[in-house]
Formats: sequence, C-alpha cells, structure tokens
Amino acid sequence: MHRVGGQVARAAARATQQQRTMAAAAPAAPKKVEVFIDGKKLLCDPGMTILQACLLVGVEIPRFCYHDRLSIAGNCRMCLVEVEKSIKPVASCAMPVMNGMKVKTDSDFVKKAREGVMEFLLTNHPLDCPICDQGGECDLQDQAMTHGSDRGRLQSRYDGKRAVEDKNIGPLVKTVMTRCIQCTRCVRFANEVADFPDFGTTGRGSDMQIGTYVEKFFASELSGNIIDICPVGALTNKQYAFTARPWETRKTESVDVMDAAGSNIVLTHRTGELLRVIPKINDDINEEWIGDQSRFAIDALKVQRLLTPFVRGADGQLKPASWEEALFTVAAKMRETPAELKAAVVGGLTDVETMVALKDLFNRFNSENVMTEEEYPETSGGADLRSNYTFNDTISAVESSDALLLVGTNPRFEAPTINARIRKTFLYSDIQIGVIGAQTNLTYEYDYLGSTSKAIDDLLAGKGDFAKTLSNAKNPMIIVGAEALQGEGGAAVLAKLQQLSTKLSKDKNSKVLNVLQRWAGMTGALDIGYKAGTASLRKKPIKFLYLVGADEGKISRSNLDPQAFVVYQGHHGEKGAELADVILPGAAYTEKEGTYVNTEGRSQRGYPAVSPPGEARTDWKIVRAVSEVAGKTLPYNEIKELRARMSEIAPHLVRYRDFEPSSFSKQALELAQTGSSSEKELVPKQRDLPDYYQTNVISRNSQLMAATKRAALDARENPYMEPAVTQAAARA
Amino acid sequence: MGGVKAALRKRYLMDVTRVGRHVGTDKFGNRYYEDNSYFIPRNRWVEFPDKVWLDYDASQVPPDWHGWLHHITDDPPTVKEPLTQKWVLEHRENVSIVPGQNEGGQKYIPYSTTRTKTLGWQPAEKKEQN
Amino acid sequence: MSLASSVMRMQMPRVTNLVAKRGGATGLMVHRDTKENNLNTKFKFSEDNEKRIKAILANYPEGHKVAALIPLLDLAQRQHGWLPITAMHEVARILEVPRMRAYEVATFYTMFNRQPVGKYFLQVCATTPCMLRGAETITETIEKKLGIHAGESTADGLFTLAEVECLGACVNAPMVQINDDYYEDLTPKDMEKIIDELKAGKQPMKGPYSGRLAAEPFGGLTSLKEKPTGPGYGLQAALK
Repeated sequence: MHRVGGQVARAAARATQQQRTMAAAAPAAPKKVEVFIDGKKLLCDPGMTILQACLLVGVEIPRFCYHDRLSIAGNCRMCLVEVEKSIKPVASCAMPVMNGMKVKTDSDFVKKAREGVMEFLLTNHPLDCPICDQGGECDLQDQAMTHGSDRGRLQSRYDGKRAVEDKNIGPLVKTVMTRCIQCTRCVRFANEVADFPDFGTTGRGSDMQIGTYVEKFFASELSGNIIDICPVGALTNKQYAFTARPWETRKTESVDVMDAAGSNIVLTHRTGELLRVIPKINDDINEEWIGDQSRFAIDALKVQRLLTPFVRGADGQLKPASWEEALFTVAAKMRETPAELKAAVVGGLTDVETMVALKDLFNRFNSENVMTEEEYPETSGGADLRSNYTFNDTISAVESSDALLLVGTNPRFEAPTINARIRKTFLYSDIQIGVIGAQTNLTYEYDYLGSTSKAIDDLLAGKGDFAKTLSNAKNPMIIVGAEALQGEGGAAVLAKLQQLSTKLSKDKNSKVLNVLQRWAGMTGALDIGYKAGTASLRKKPIKFLYLVGADEGKISRSNLDPQAFVVYQGHHGEKGAELADVILPGAAYTEKEGTYVNTEGRSQRGYPAVSPPGEARTDWKIVRAVSEVAGKTLPYNEIKELRARMSEIAPHLVRYRDFEPSSFSKQALELAQTGSSSEKELVPKQRDLPDYYQTNVISRNSQLMAATKRAALDARENPYMEPAVTQAAARA
Repeated sequence: MGGVKAALRKRYLMDVTRVGRHVGTDKFGNRYYEDNSYFIPRNRWVEFPDKVWLDYDASQVPPDWHGWLHHITDDPPTVKEPLTQKWVLEHRENVSIVPGQNEGGQKYIPYSTTRTKTLGWQPAEKKEQN
Repeated sequence: MSLASSVMRMQMPRVTNLVAKRGGATGLMVHRDTKENNLNTKFKFSEDNEKRIKAILANYPEGHKVAALIPLLDLAQRQHGWLPITAMHEVARILEVPRMRAYEVATFYTMFNRQPVGKYFLQVCATTPCMLRGAETITETIEKKLGIHAGESTADGLFTLAEVECLGACVNAPMVQINDDYYEDLTPKDMEKIIDELKAGKQPMKGPYSGRLAAEPFGGLTSLKEKPTGPGYGLQAALK
C-alpha cells in the first residue's frame, strides 16, 4: 500500500467505524438515546445503528451485506425496517438511531419490503441449491424461507437469466460468480482485513461483478475467510467442494496448532473423516478469522501417516511391528541406558498432556534431560521466568496500544490472526508501528528501524523519532518473535528488550514485552519446565533419544552416540521417523484431547474430532504404556487424573480459556544479561507470502498447501499483480 | 439307498424328510420333486446329485428348471419344452468361488472399491549405515 | 416441434441481439489481453497533459488524490482515443491508489471505452423519445452507409457505432453524439451528410438540423404569448 493511499483508507475506514467505536465506548458517552423498537423502549448509545439497537432487544434483522467486523456498505437492502414518519423503508444497518425514533420490524410494510428485496435477489440468483456447496448453511436460502415470497414474477423466457463467468482466484477458494448477490463482504474483507486491494467490483447494474478484473491469485494468508463471510455459495471451499452437507456432519470445537496464537476452530467431520476447518469466534484471540494454513492444511492428515508401530530389524530396515513388540523394545532400551545418557525432545505441535507424561517418565528414570526442539534463550532468565516467553499483555491489548514495536518477527505469517488485529488497530486508531527486522508488506505502514539489534540499542539510547514515539506512548507494546531470540546473541536481545520495556512500562499491569512464539506447544513446554533447545543434547553422547513429533531436523545421528537408540513418536513420517529405530504412531491434533498453551499463556483444550488412524494411539497414553512396560508405571490412567497432575505442576494449565498474567518481570530484569554487544541479524525467515504456507510437519505434507505455495510463487511473476505486493521491500 | 440311512441323509441336507413326486431330472443329475400337500413356494424342490454333497449352489440349477422351481411356469421343461434361442449359451455353474476353476486359477475375491481414508508412510529402503 | 420450443426459437434472437448490442457498447467486465490492449500497450501522458494533471490535482486536498480518478481517466482517454489497461495503471500510479480502484471506475462508467474505438465514435440514442422519432432509421442509415453494426468499427478505424441509452436531448430527437458533440433533429439524409463530411475531414454543423436554434417549438410560441400580467393580478376585490 502506498503511503498516502493508506491514509485515505485509514481515514475512510475510521469514518465508517466511528459509530461502532462510539458504541463500544459506552461509559464515556453521557447521553443515551431513547428508541422504540416494536413498541419496546430502549436506551442506547448515540451512533449505534438501528440494526445494532434491534439486536439489543433480541430482534434479529435479516441482512446480507452487513457484517460485524467490516465497514458498513448498505447495498443489499435486506435489512429494511419501517421508521415512523419516514415514507420509505430504511436500511437499518446504515441508519444511526435518533432520539424518539419508533422502529417497526415486523409490520406488513416491512414484510412487503423484505419480500420485494428477496424477489429481486432471487431473480438474479440461480436455482442451483441442490448442487451448491453452501446449501444448508446459506443465508440466502434461510432468509428466502423466512422472509421471501412463495412466488416470483421472473419470466426468464423473456428476460433471460443473469449469468457471470467464474473467476480463478487460486487453489483455495472456488468461485461460482453467478450465485453472487453483490453484498461486497468479500471486497470489504479483502481491502480492510486482508489488505488485498486487488479485489473489487467491476461494471454496473446487472453487469456488475465481483473480482479482480484481471485474473490473479488472491494473495493473502487470510484468503479462506472470504468463504465464511460469503452469505451465498459464490465463494466456497475448493477442498470441501461436493463433500458433505452441513446437516450430516458433526462439529467439534477445538484449537488450532498451526501457529502459537491458538485460534479457536470448529472441526467438521463425518464418518470418522475430517472434512474441513472453520473458525470459531473468540474475541480474545482470533476474532473470527483463521489463517489459510489452519483452514486448508488438513488434507495432510490423510497422507504420510504413521499407521503401525515400526521396529528396526537386524538388517537395519524398519519393519511394521505390533504394539507389544515396539513397547517392549523401547522399554528394554530405556531400562538399560543410564540416566545421564537418556534424553527426550518434543516438537512444536505436542500437547501439554503428552509433555507432562513424558517428563514424569524421564524423571522416574532420574533424568531431567527433556527439551524442546525449538530454541529459546536459557540465559537472561529466558525460559525460566514466564514473563520472558509469553505474550504478556494479551492479544486483544494490541487494540488499545498506541505504539507498537515489532522485533524480528513477521506476525503476518507467524500468526495471521494477530496480524489482522494489528491491521485493524492501524486502520481505526492512531497507532504508530515500528519494525526491526525485514522490510516486507505487513499490511500496515510502519517506520523501518533497521535489521539488526543495533536498532534496539538506538531505541534504548533514545535515538530517533520512534524512540520518542515509544516513550510518549500511553500503552506501548513490543512484540518480539521467538526467532529473534534464537542463536548467538538471542539472550542479549531479550535482555535489551527487557530493559526497554521496563523503561517504557507506565503501570504495573502492562509488561510491554510480548513474545510471539512460533509453535503451539512451546509456551506449554516452557511452562512445565522443559529445557529450551537441543544444545544440551550435544554435550554428551546420548544413547537413548525419545522424540515426540520433533520433525524440524534439528537433531541428526551425528549429534548422538553411534550406537544410539532413537524412538520417534508422532503422526507423520518425516525427518524424525527416518531417524528412528522404533516408531510409535501417535495422534494429530484433530485426533486427541489435548491442552495447548498459546503464546499469551492462555491454556485451551482441543478435542478429538476423529479417531487416530490405523494402530495409532493418543500420545500421552503411549507414554503411559511405555512407563508401564518399563516398570515405572505413571500414576494416571485417565485424562482426568493426568490433568490433576498437570494442575499440581502449574494450576493455570487446567484453567481453560483464562488468561494467566505472569509476574516476576522485575526479577527478569535483574537476570538480564546484555553480555556481548555484537550485532545480531533480526530478519525473520518468513518474509513473503510463499514462505507462509509450509512451516510445520502437517502443512509440509499438505498437497494443497504445496499447490498454494506454487500459486503464490507464480503470482510474483504475474505482471498484473499490484506492484505494492511485489515491491513491498522498496517502500518506506 | 433307502431306509433310515437315506432319511437321515435327507434330513441332514434339507432339514426335512419329505418324499414328493419325481417330476424330472436334468442333465446335471439334479432331481426335481413336487408335493402339493405343502403350501405353494415349498411344494417344489430340487435334490442335488450325490457327488455334490455339501457343495450345492443355486447356480447348479439350469434356467429352464429354475423357472419351474420358482413357479414361473406351471409345467416342467419335461412336459413343455421352453423356448430357446440359438445364441443362448450352455448353462454353466458359477464357479468363481471355486479355486482353480476360473480364469487365472484363483478363487475370486471381491475387493473393496472404497478409497482408503488415510495413506500410511512407508519407511525408505535401508540406507548404508556405518 | 413442441409449442414451447417454437416459442423459445422465436425469442432467442431477440435476447441475443439485445445482449450483443449492449455488450458492444460497454464490453466485458473483466480484462483479457488482446492484440491492442495488453501490458505492452504504450501509454504515457503527454507534456501538456502532465500540466493539466497538476492543475486537476490542485483542486483536491492533500490525501484525497483519489478524487481525481475520473478526470484523469478522462484525460487519458482523450489523449489515447480509448482507455487501455496501461493507461489505468498509469493513472493509479499517479494517484497512488491500487490499480483495482481505477478498474472499478473505468468499468462503471460506460463513457470510458476500454476497447479501441474509431476516430469518430457515433453514439445513437435509442431510448423511447428518440426511437419514436425514428432513431432506428438513423441507425439503419449509418449501418448501410458504413457497413458496420452497432458495436463495430469500420476497417479504416474512422468510425465506431454504438447504440446507447438516453443522452438527455429528447426534445431534439432523434439525435446522435459524435465524440463530444450532439447532432440533433436528424433525418437519414442529414445523417448521411454528416458522415460524408466527417469522411472528408470537415467538421459538420453541430446542434439541431431542423433549423431550430435550440429546443423551441417549430411553429412559433404556443403558450405564454400574451403580455405578462402585472402585480396584483387575480387578487380578490376586497384586497385591492
């Protein structure tokens, strides 16, 4: 986006948002407005629309174009209501309430108006509900039943029926543009939330259509959300096409593990098969969006799965084995290896239950050698104090922040839902954003402060304009990517940021420093006392290594004793499985009940939608079985008992959905060691859209994600792509 | 054969001891009986030849007799020759379940046409380890 | 043949005809690269127009450059004769808006020609008043004279014919708009004369061809002929 263009968008968006922010700032508004809705008296805030006021008294106005999280368009006309002393019906979604307004929502006049609007909409809408994927969850279908007439006056023989060519906007979203009712929700989403300004309306009247004018890829990491906001079947899920009807599927509410935000999702499944993922509204975390990886990578859960245990035979070849054989092999090796030569490494997608069980098992063998595959600084109190590795101020606090510093992170691809919130804040408030890291398109404007840790030193020293902005800010926030704290000098970066945040912190409640983790399981692992990083593994020649979902290739045979015995427990056959002598097939996140602690430190529960395939089993139960065969039975048989154990370790782990503030940030500062003053590169690995799609073991195995990555790469070559997207680096 | 032994044998094969009017025998040696003291579907039956023993199968009855047996015709083919066409093939028993009798010599086993929901990982062939 | 299918047969040509004529006027609502219109189509504002752009932009406050979208697109069309996609890109670049905003405006307004048109763009008004006064014969005359149908251009690239909706000159029906000028009160003969003159490179007379100055009645005034009454006219006697 260009500098000035952005301001225009910002100003325009703010104007339309004003009424809602006014509504949100209820206590500040002194005078309430008296409105009568269907004769019921209601006091509401000035600036509210009639539609919102009606919701307060439980009157649901039918609508297509109005969406809570988008600007108001007022073009579908479905929300017409009667307002006394107004000759014409009024579009309630766009009309602010006024004192003494008398609104009727179910008079004959309103019914007739709605029937008329519905007839016009249906005139230009194909009658293809039986072959439409939206059938059963279609706003138009539902509202045609409740508000439509039982007959129409369309005579297609004379007038013809409107038809629009389908668009190709990439491998994720299927378009059937004839079904489009031009509510422009997708256009507003693309422009306001996803920052994909190439989406718009072309033509006018019956020739009007939604699209990109020139065929191009919907280059956004949030593109899947237009499927959800489309009230009809014009934009549907390509992966889910012709698969199921909503009434025949079961829904399981769960938690996403593709990033550390812990977005809430609904898993749709039928006959033990996972069909699709849709977001679940959670205003504290993901609002109602999810990233494309979370939504579309699930096809990987049906390929390259570990279906049976494998044991390496005498010839060195992995062979399918029974659980009994595998468990006894593991247990025997575990018993005979001395404690100091044992180690366990967990990957980033592991649930807390499994990690607790695994740690308990190793503790029983007198080993504390349990660690995460993802690195995190050990010095500067890094992994020891909770305020050093969580998103202390909560995700929703971004909205009230007025100065934001991003260090070594690209939230757009590391946590798309958090980035959507930053963009929202950017559009609707005067937040100032500074970036230390890569110059990429983050969907909002920012001051680029440099790519190395020297920029932090400058801020600490108060040099530069942004240092002033930060120190003048009421609610400053620093978001640092976990990647920036890895490797040499990572601890020093953390220490500097601690100093900076202490300097900036205005009151006790705001910690300023927020760490954006990259993995869904990382915060949980640090919470229960896992060592961060595999560095300690390299000190001693490990003879027995237990990997749980560690697939990032951080460990290789050369790090271990030549005779080392490696156990891999996980759900996909990848780097970890190739390393292993015994493979124990575990469950993916859609197949087990598990606790995940998101980057804020908010613990959430995921539920199983389908059962683990083949011989695969729930992960913590596998660890429990190993413990029993190894003769050190863990004292829990059921998940309840395991969770009781978890609450002994850290009570917040079972206080689901609650945000647990962390303390000791003062102590963290005392532990801070700036140490070496060497510069550290803070450029994140994920810079451009193609870097987004395949980041973990699940999405790496997804064919759809691979195809989308290819499409994103091709889009870079497309000369019709908006130059701002491809030349983002040239900006600022 | 007759007497008690035949009666027991009949009971073993047909669960019932009944003697009907012998209507005819086809070229495979199947003997067809009728006893109208039984109610209608049960009044006609076939007794398979001795060599078949327990390997009897409905497809061993040729179509002309099948018609009579199932009351499609009133008259057995011995009384009223059924209409045949020159392109009609000689009746053969369905032997797809019998090993060695059909193409390829294998017993026919139907396979599932539903796709596998989950594809498994196969470990790579053994690499040289040192 | 069933009744229904025979009805369909009768109806079909009418519908397709209608669509084709309209389609000829405004074109597709998506872009497809053609020989004339693609990314290699050269477009650059001339120096004169650069000055005009500066003047136009000066009309709008800083931060609201986007308001100059229509004037600039119009300027581009006037310079190039029609509006290639590269011109839209150029305008979007100057105004610092996403290209889609330029596409949206250019497709919304039918007066932006996104396909090449001839030097003379004949727009025959075919809405009711003009139609009643013989717009169809005007169209026929042009079609016969130039050998093109609505939505087509002549091979020499001189003329393009389009049938458009009301141009707001109903009192002077039938009428034709050629580029920026209105030619009104036309008869087929007048139309032929106009085309001949255009072919010869001359500027035909603009305005009504009936001898009227503007839209006054043909036979002199029919009303308001008497002297205007003075103040106090029609007042009750008691008030006088």
